Amino acid sequence: MLLSKFQTEVEEILSHYPVKRSALLPLLNLAQREDGFVSESAMRDIAKVLDLTPPQVFETVTFYTMFNLKPIGKFHLQVCKSLMCALVGSDDVVRWIKTKLGIAPGHTTQDNNFTLSVVECLGSCGTGPMMQVNDDFYEQLTEEKLGRIFDDLARDGTCPLKTGPFMYPLPLAK
Amino acid sequence: MAQYEKILLKNMEQPGYTGSLADYERADGYQALRHVLKEMQPDQVIEEVKTSGLRGRGGAGFPAGVKWGFIPKDHPGPKYLCCNADESEPGTFKDRQLMERDPHQMLEGMVITCFAIGAQTAYIYIRGEFRLGTKILEQAVQEARTAGYIGENILGSGLTVNIYVHPGAGAYICGEETALLESLEGKRGMPRFKPPFPATHGLYQMPTVVNNVETLANIPHIINRGGAWFASIGSQPKSCGTRIFCLSGHVKRPGNYEVPLGIPFRELIYDLGGGMRSDKPLKAFIPGGASAPFLTPDHLDVKMDFESVAMAGSMLGSGGVTVMEEGTSMVWAALRLMEFFYHESCGKCTPCREGSSWLLQTLQRIWGKQGRPEDIGILEELCGNIAGRTICAFGEAEVAPIQSTLRHWRDEYETLIREAQATRPRKKDIPVFTH
Amino acid sequence: MAASTTTDMITLTIDGKTATVPKDTLVIEAARQVGVMVPHFCYHPKLSPDANCRMCLVEIEKMPRLQTSCSTPVAEGMVVKSESSAQAQDARKSVLDFILANHPLDCPVCDQGGRCDLQDFSHEYTATTSRFNELKRVFQKEFFSPLIETQMNRCVQCLRCVRYCDQVMDVKALAPVGRGTLTEIKAFGTHELDCEFCGGCVQICPVGAITSRLSMYEFRPWMLKRTDSVCGFCGDGCQITFQTKNETLIEVNSTHGAGRNNGDLCARGYFGYHVSVHPDRLTTPLIREGSVFREVTWEEALELVAQRLSEIKTTHGPDAIGGLITGRCTNEDVYVFQKFMRGVIGTNRIDSSVRYGHLNGVHAMQRVQGTHRWTVNFEDVVSADVLLLVGTNITETNPITGLKVKEAVKRHGAKLITIETLEPAIGAISNIVNLSQHHLGVKPTAYGSAILGMLKGVIEQNGIDPDLQTMAPEYCKDITAHIQAISWSEIEEQTGLTSSLFEKAAKVFVQGLKAVILIGSGVLRTSGGFGMTVNLLDLLLMTGKLTKEGCGLAPLAEENNDQGTFEMGGIGAMLPGGKSLGDTEARNMFSQAWGRTVSDLPGSSLPQMIEEATNGNLKSLFIVGENPLASLPPSSGIHQALGNLEFLVCQELFMTETAQQAHVVLPACSYAEKDGTFTNTEGHIQPVRKAIEPVGESRPDWEVFSALSVGMDDPMEYLDVKEIGKEIRNLLPGMRTLGPAPLPAQPDSSAISRYVNSDYKRDLSARYQLPPRMSSGQGHVVLMVSQSLFHSGKFSLKAKGLMQIQSEGKLFLHPKDAVRLGFDEGDRIRVFNGLGEVYTKVAFRERTPEGVVVFPEHFDREIRRLLPYTVDPETQVPYCKLAEIQLGKIVAS
Repeated sequence: MLLSKFQTEVEEILSHYPVKRSALLPLLNLAQREDGFVSESAMRDIAKVLDLTPPQVFETVTFYTMFNLKPIGKFHLQVCKSLMCALVGSDDVVRWIKTKLGIAPGHTTQDNNFTLSVVECLGSCGTGPMMQVNDDFYEQLTEEKLGRIFDDLARDGTCPLKTGPFMYPLPLAK
Repeated sequence: MAQYEKILLKNMEQPGYTGSLADYERADGYQALRHVLKEMQPDQVIEEVKTSGLRGRGGAGFPAGVKWGFIPKDHPGPKYLCCNADESEPGTFKDRQLMERDPHQMLEGMVITCFAIGAQTAYIYIRGEFRLGTKILEQAVQEARTAGYIGENILGSGLTVNIYVHPGAGAYICGEETALLESLEGKRGMPRFKPPFPATHGLYQMPTVVNNVETLANIPHIINRGGAWFASIGSQPKSCGTRIFCLSGHVKRPGNYEVPLGIPFRELIYDLGGGMRSDKPLKAFIPGGASAPFLTPDHLDVKMDFESVAMAGSMLGSGGVTVMEEGTSMVWAALRLMEFFYHESCGKCTPCREGSSWLLQTLQRIWGKQGRPEDIGILEELCGNIAGRTICAFGEAEVAPIQSTLRHWRDEYETLIREAQATRPRKKDIPVFTH
Repeated sequence: MAASTTTDMITLTIDGKTATVPKDTLVIEAARQVGVMVPHFCYHPKLSPDANCRMCLVEIEKMPRLQTSCSTPVAEGMVVKSESSAQAQDARKSVLDFILANHPLDCPVCDQGGRCDLQDFSHEYTATTSRFNELKRVFQKEFFSPLIETQMNRCVQCLRCVRYCDQVMDVKALAPVGRGTLTEIKAFGTHELDCEFCGGCVQICPVGAITSRLSMYEFRPWMLKRTDSVCGFCGDGCQITFQTKNETLIEVNSTHGAGRNNGDLCARGYFGYHVSVHPDRLTTPLIREGSVFREVTWEEALELVAQRLSEIKTTHGPDAIGGLITGRCTNEDVYVFQKFMRGVIGTNRIDSSVRYGHLNGVHAMQRVQGTHRWTVNFEDVVSADVLLLVGTNITETNPITGLKVKEAVKRHGAKLITIETLEPAIGAISNIVNLSQHHLGVKPTAYGSAILGMLKGVIEQNGIDPDLQTMAPEYCKDITAHIQAISWSEIEEQTGLTSSLFEKAAKVFVQGLKAVILIGSGVLRTSGGFGMTVNLLDLLLMTGKLTKEGCGLAPLAEENNDQGTFEMGGIGAMLPGGKSLGDTEARNMFSQAWGRTVSDLPGSSLPQMIEEATNGNLKSLFIVGENPLASLPPSSGIHQALGNLEFLVCQELFMTETAQQAHVVLPACSYAEKDGTFTNTEGHIQPVRKAIEPVGESRPDWEVFSALSVGMDDPMEYLDVKEIGKEIRNLLPGMRTLGPAPLPAQPDSSAISRYVNSDYKRDLSARYQLPPRMSSGQGHVVLMVSQSLFHSGKFSLKAKGLMQIQSEGKLFLHPKDAVRLGFDEGDRIRVFNGLGEVYTKVAFRERTPEGVVVFPEHFDREIRRLLPYTVDPETQVPYCKLAEIQLGKIVAS
């Protein structure tokens, strides 16, 4: 059972709330981090911990777009396509990815490494076009940058081009 | 170029400033909290914030002190503070910077707010995609807890405030305060009808204040320097203080700019933002996030304060200013935003739920040169049937791009429809559907 | 806010009409009261407002925009415009336009067509044209459940179904899945619906999105004839409406506001109606010839029965004949039956299914409070501030009374104390102990000890009513002394619960201003049941609550007319009206009225009749609708007793195990085919109405008794049921059908005084001692044979809808027990004790406590062989629902 594996974390999460159901999103996050998606058995486990029925968990899961109900590739590429990013070339990014990885939105590469999704605004409108890969943001994307990111990810599982603590524009050096 | 004193971004713009507790303390951090605990009563804090004229920085612009004042004083059960860090209004990316670069500033504001309203528990509802921000905040809370700024008996005063970081999971609507509360309760994030308001029936039906990150980050400064000082900045009497405007789109230097409320858009876009990125002139701009109606070059000298922008037919909203250059299709821009709103409509209210897909499909047809002359009338009618008839402001928001682009650039719609008629005569007329 | 401090009534105008309503009333309800119907989808008076459909928008003066009348409370001087507001009318029209845009407009094949809110409002707002030229949203059709059909393209997403399932039922089986316009109602993942199948979602859906599969495509609403009647399953007495097309039973439902159930039903009520039209129904009288039955005419059958009964009466005396009738019959049937037995046959050897347990409650109430009825009603349950449930398993036995408890707790904040063989656990069906603030989970053998624990808790915190101490000091002293002679450690050992739990629960009980105790089969059908019930009445007395308005004891009747059967004289020792046979005045009154002498020889209970038949003293039994071979275990000796009879008549719907032994079988009508009255568990008498013609040649029971009396040359003839009712009311003026909300019976102070001054002593010591422990050996568990939510006796096994939900019996046990014993879900295992061994499948259920296994009584054909049988010395109630057993894996040979 997933939750016994993370018992300390689960207890810590539960301790934050006077009403158990509040722990639902955090526990679903935990489940997805472990499995890459939210499985039926995870939903049942979580329902049990929170005194909910499985349908109550299910209705909540399906409301939030971050939860995947099916397994996805190792790296989830989420390209923002909302207006602000679209103004500065997010459609190009999707096209470049198609050229480089051969996948269209909703698809996963054969090696199961990359799944592409186009998503709505991720809060990087000043530094678009951008994409989120798993936990990390990659901003001000160019075709060249993308190539490097994919190479690094495939090779190292991470890439130094990811954004750190955000500040833009950077203060002018005196 | 005019130079303005920065309040919220001041620390983080210092070279080497990491946002750690040590850095924050070196920059006189947590002095406001010490002062409050030693010298002030909760009511005095609320009064000070009322005096400051601070208005909510999330979008609705409700006076923060007034909101706090609604919390019943004699309530026997727990009260809550929720920090709205679900920054997801397209065009807005300031809270992300405040959280990731100077988390203690907002934490200090939160502890003071809890003191003022009598809350012992506060949650930071941060949008789920902000993984880095979540980590940074969790660390900062831990640091502050260890140092005695958060937790039980804060700085020996007897005050207890616990702060927990609660990530969302991808739903724009959770930025609406009652939807946020539903989501925090582990439910589908659907707005509640009001009244009752969160001030009396909020989280777990208990009195609750929901404030935006930027709003809370201002609190320590208001305590340190006085409400009157804050009120003297900006565009008195109703738009006090500074605001962080998020500049995006076709400008040379997009990004976050903290300026006093009331400077003209022209100054933000051309002086701070360096003007248009290419030689194409400005065609349109959105003054306050995706929910705000589009404005035109004629509005560049409108002052960036709540009232002036409202007078111009839009709103200051979340502070996201998106600039579009000549050549950008306004129908396309409206369509892109409509796609967003369709995707994010929670589905609770009939007009918004059904109207969003109807609007989207109609716009898609027009943009895809399948429009019909009557479509413009239909769009206008649908917008009228959605706005003002839903529980939350999403209804108004989703029609704003269409209504405003129709107002200022109706000819673009007409041209597309005319081209549709001319270039692709429909094989057969689709009859008006009769049930 | 300050305006209404002096008055709780608010005056406002709606479309120019003045309404004066209590404060907190919603505008939509105030409007209804002055005849302004505001259209709506999502609003329902049973549910908290959600304001999602936006159909009920109204214009309210001084408010900036249109307001939803379903979520806006009235205010003094408010001026509301509904139909008179062009703006509101325009908004509603646009809402319809939005809904219809994606609606499939498949009214021709929609079962809701003709009674659909969307149709009606579309008509009202002449939404005839649409400018929607886009693609309609289409949901993939998915199989939802064998009983419930969903057609999500028709859904208006008002979420009434989801909210009902959560707020009213506490089941939470429905999930709105997805977001925005793509939201659809599902169960869990791609799984079929698994729930209580109350049908509430079907009933509350304003459109055709959720419909019943049992009646799918079989009707148009305007073809249906409605017959309001009363459900024939449990004692809750829900008002149902039979919907028939010609003579075909199409569906059963209940209207919001109707009956004691306020329109709510359970699976049995909603999906169980096919029991009346099952192909196995007996359609002609049958006479045994050797080992087979021959179909005969009514004349031949009646003549034979009349002749044989007359012979036996002449040869062996009237007491050689006994009668047994089911609590499923109408009051009129039971009345005529006992009149036939007492008057025409001349015996008091009459018994009924009341004997199986309900009698314990009725007798105890008669003894302590004088009246044999509840002194509370459902309204009191809903408005109680403290509820104590003991051994009810209420959701499964009396689901609608269960809803009253849920409403009291969930909507009105009542405190719930439960002494139940249930563990708090979430499952497919609701679990009342999940709502309990003070749950005392005990094994089914420990109810008596737990009740003593409650009493001890009350006494130890000086919870005894001071007035009672003045009025009956000796009673208080005696009970206190007996209770104090029992130590906490003994109670703790017997119940497995700590004394502090009892103390806390007792404190809450004592503090209750309106306290109702509900008891069920765990008390009434369990060894010591009578004593436990009296002890609970002691608890009410001691805390000063027995005579307090809104307080009282409520024994739950398991069968639809258990209460009425008792009141009609369906127990030999009790004449109609609950009067004792020993009461000469009463006996004389009936003798005179009937023109036949009522014997003063005491009657016999069913256990006694079994004995008498075995001894050869009872020669004949006339059994009406009862099936003792299936109700009692072999250890009762019932097989031998029936085998000994010279003449057995069974009047039945189906060829039951008992009927198979009969010499003559007479086909009777079900509740759908006859008129009469049922008395529900509250003591509320309600009209039963004929919805379809009798199946085959079946006849209403009373007609058969009447015909037999003619055959026996002692005619008691009635023109119709009404005439019987008139006779009953003439004799017993209180026995009339009452209004929609009956006043509960009043406790009789002379009876109370008799009890507290002397009568209590009679069995005090026996009642105030811990029951003997079952000699639990290593590896023994307690088997509890009990009622399932989806069935009612053996009767419902003929209901096709219910059989689709539950078609076989499985042994339910806690997963931890299963792990301990090495069982997997679905395993076939061996169950055994000294009485025998049987094999059954196991299923896991977390609400079943460890050390207890539960088997549904409806399927107990095999397992009842393991049940020991004892009889209550005071009330002659047979106890045969519990056994000590062992479980074992089947070892392949």
